[in-house]
Parts: sequence; C-alpha cells; structure tokens
Amino acid sequence: MELADRAVGLLLSLISISIFTYFTFWVIIVPFVDSDHFVHQYFLPLEYAIIIPVFAGVALLSLLSLFVGSVMLKSRKKNKKA
Amino acid sequence: MLTFGKLTYSQDKGAPFSPMKHIFKIISLLAAISAFWVGLLQASIIPRTHTWLLPIYLVVSLGCYGLLMVGVGLMQFPTCPQEAVLLQQDIAEAKGFLKDKGVDVGSD
Repeated sequence: MELADRAVGLLLSLISISIFTYFTFWVIIVPFVDSDHFVHQYFLPLEYAIIIPVFAGVALLSLLSLFVGSVMLKSRKKNKKA
Repeated sequence: MLTFGKLTYSQDKGAPFSPMKHIFKIISLLAAISAFWVGLLQASIIPRTHTWLLPIYLVVSLGCYGLLMVGVGLMQFPTCPQEAVLLQQDIAEAKGFLKDKGVDVGSD
C-alpha cells in the first residue's frame, strides 16, 4: 500500500527531526541561556544528555546481539535435528 | 547529501572518481572537529565533565540523519501501479500455462 508507506516514512522523518532539534537545543543552546530563564524547565540537566544516548546505544547493541545470538542458536538447533 | 562509497561520474573527465576520496574528506573533517574540541577542552573553556558531549552529539546526529534518509526514501519510493497490473497478468498467464502442463502451482 503506497499510502501506508508514505505515512510510515513521514512518521520516521518527523521523529528523527524532532529528536535532532531537541538534542541540538539541549546541547548547544540551553547551556548559554541564563539559569533563571523559563526554558530550563523543559530540559533535563546537561549530564543526562550524555547518560541517555549512551544508555540507549548500549540497549540497542545488546538487543541486536541477543537477536543475532538467538538466530544463530535456532539455526544450529535446526541443523542438528536435520 | 552524504553518500558513502557511491561511484559517480565527474563532469569534466568522464571517468569515475573513486569512492576513497570522499571518505578522506570526511575523515579530515572529523579530525579537524576533534582537534577543535580537544583544544577547547585543554584550554579549560569547557569543563572536563562535558568531554563526551561532542562525540555523543555527532553519533546522535548521524543516527538521526540515517533515520531521516530512510523516512524520505520510503516517502519517495515509486510503486509503478501499471507495472504491478502487468505483473499480475503475467503471473496469472504463467500459472495457467504451467497448470495445463501438469505442474503444481500451489498458493491460490
């Protein structure tokens, strides 16, 4: 279905653009704003800008290796049976 | 737009320029940015607690860029509806032909 593809594509693009702009604001613009400005309540403290991507990256890598490992185990079990 | 390892033809010579020259440009740009960042860190303009801010920012922006290209490619993917109809006709014709010859064609 062409429309479903375009909807998924649009959703992915919007997600990526929003993540990029939020992260850019967080890392580059907010540190130079005065500490009593109201935008600081929309952004976590700056150390979380390091913790959250690292945690997400570690989770992604571990999920990927779990998936690859389970596929390898399944294929070996199937080979042994056949 | 960045594309890795894509063979393209340059305008003047008509010979393909190798994919390696593009990666050298990228590596030199990355080296310049990291030299700038390390310089800022050493001169204590940025506190050492924020060391990993730039590499993580680059990795996150690279991931976002990849996701954006996937989304844009999905949106622009051509589906060729006329070709799809012709293909279905070809499939039906082939199935009928093979079924007459006695081959089991299955899925319907």
